[in-house]
Amino acid sequence: MNKFNKLLHPLIGPLAAIILGLLAGSIAIVVAGGSITETYSEMWKGAFGSFYFFTSTLSRATPVILIGMGAVVAFRSGFFNLGAEGQMVLGGLSAALVGLYMPGPAWLVCVAALLAGIAAGGLWSAMAGYFDVRFRVNLLITTLLLNYIATLFAGYMVAYPFKDRTGSAAMAQSAMLDNAIWLPKLFKGMAVHAGLIIAVIVVIVLFIYLSKSVSGYEARMLGGNPLFAVYGGVRRTSLMIATMFASGGLAGLAGATEILGSQYRYIDNAFSSADYAWTGIMAALLANANPIGTAIAAFFLAALQTGGMGVELNTDVPLEIGSVIQSVLILFITVKFTRIYWKRRKGRKQDGSAV
Amino acid sequence: MDQLFDLALFNSALRVLTPILLAALGGALCARVGLFNVGLEGLMLIGAFTAIVGNHYFENTALAILFAIACVSVFSLLFAYLSIQLQANVIVVGVAMNFLALGLTTFSLRTIFHVKGAYYNKEMIGLPKWDIPVIKDIPVLGEILSGQSPLVYLALVIAGMIWYYFYRTISGFRFLAAGSNPLAARSLGIRVQRYQYGAVLACGVLCALAGAQLSLGQVTLFTEGMTAGRGFIALVAMMLGQSGPLGVVASSLLFGLMDAFSIRLQGLSMPSHFTQMVPYAITIIAMFFFKDKGFLKDAQNSGSSSR
Repeated sequence: MNKFNKLLHPLIGPLAAIILGLLAGSIAIVVAGGSITETYSEMWKGAFGSFYFFTSTLSRATPVILIGMGAVVAFRSGFFNLGAEGQMVLGGLSAALVGLYMPGPAWLVCVAALLAGIAAGGLWSAMAGYFDVRFRVNLLITTLLLNYIATLFAGYMVAYPFKDRTGSAAMAQSAMLDNAIWLPKLFKGMAVHAGLIIAVIVVIVLFIYLSKSVSGYEARMLGGNPLFAVYGGVRRTSLMIATMFASGGLAGLAGATEILGSQYRYIDNAFSSADYAWTGIMAALLANANPIGTAIAAFFLAALQTGGMGVELNTDVPLEIGSVIQSVLILFITVKFTRIYWKRRKGRKQDGSAV
Repeated sequence: MDQLFDLALFNSALRVLTPILLAALGGALCARVGLFNVGLEGLMLIGAFTAIVGNHYFENTALAILFAIACVSVFSLLFAYLSIQLQANVIVVGVAMNFLALGLTTFSLRTIFHVKGAYYNKEMIGLPKWDIPVIKDIPVLGEILSGQSPLVYLALVIAGMIWYYFYRTISGFRFLAAGSNPLAARSLGIRVQRYQYGAVLACGVLCALAGAQLSLGQVTLFTEGMTAGRGFIALVAMMLGQSGPLGVVASSLLFGLMDAFSIRLQGLSMPSHFTQMVPYAITIIAMFFFKDKGFLKDAQNSGSSSR
């Protein structure tokens, strides 16, 4: 019975949140004058209905998974990195610029662009980490604010110095990358690209790192009980900067793969309006910062969004039904998430009252 | 270049700072009871949308604002219940509220008005422009202050009222005590949770007013995501102002000026990206001087705080 409880316990929270999310979605559908079963079945078809839809869901999930992994790295060490959006934007921008201006063989340029994305996102994020350890500037606030600075800076770069002047030139965007350096598509004519393979590798590596390696253990210890970790000889300063670099670097990689694999140019606001960054952070929260769970959650959140598009095409219910369900789900998932963290701080009381 | 600064700039600065000021005051109330409310942006957006909905159905601005206040209060109660009663992470709930607001307003825009992107109807009445009799005739001040919507004046009055409440009333003193040390406050018989609920509810009302000023103040329309980061600027103004009413007014004034200034620069077809960056950059620099308590202290306190 005890074992059964242990297996079931972590599932109660997410299940309740999913049910509440779908319930709120049903209310919204009825208000919009649609049929609940029809809308949900269209949503299912839009996300998984055919091989084409399934691969576009995978393609949308790719950056979300990578950002989710970045968030996992930070959350596990007890840091809230809310700056994924800015890190992703800078990663994408530098990948696009390296791809456009670096000479050399195509495969080298592609790898260099990916590395440039990691470096840009990582350094931007490590800067916030450095401010926190050195000057005690609240990490949460700096990461949040650096988002705006990064997005505005990237917007300036593609609106003035690196603007694409070949086309109609009405949009703020960089020039198109040469198609030799694009990340290859996994299937001909489908949206999903090699970035997905990178993302899956990152998930596996991160899972092994966190559960098996010494520094992964130190990172988890710092997140679980910072005082004990410092007492036990974990060097918080260097670990925090390294963690923040890894976290931002993964967000930067997400931006770089998105540029090299599906957009082929940096378009102002393309990342922000798609909400990749926040969806990735939410996936990590949903899965309680477990790498594999986060990847699964990222996939389902992406499916909600592509499913929403299917709903829009075939029924009268607007596309935003997906984001309504998603946000209600997140609203209630947090209840569970912090209960666990809160309990851990209180010293794991065994009163069994927590849901 | 000398056309950049004139009295009309200050006049428009006052207009654009009002939503930021109202939301920042709401955020300050929450921050003072220990709830860091990231959801200001979402609450404001719901306020802006419901004010337009109210205007559409009641054809009366006063009723529209009341309707907006009622709707936003429901959402702020949800925020309060989840973060106070269920002990959810305040920041996560706040971010989720922003998501929910964006999704719900866009969804409702299309189900209620059947339009995409923006709703505009020239029969809707916006907020009136007031000229205050005596001040209007004072040379410089008159030009800056007159011709604003009532909410602009109300925002300044509310800031004064909050200052009075915080520092001159007994209840305000208890309010501050509940935030700065919940455990000690509770041992004195102060109902901490009651003050927290009150703060979140008041924050909702202020955000509703902020949203109404956005959608009914200068222009009478609603566009998807029309708050465009103002909630986060308000959050920044609140932190820069150290959650004190006077500090919040001063920092909102700074951001209002910067905002009005960047609109001017856009008119001159100069890149506004850098002027838009200024509020964020200033805040980060300011935080080097107003230091936050360290993580060790946080970890020690977490055992004794009500959060």
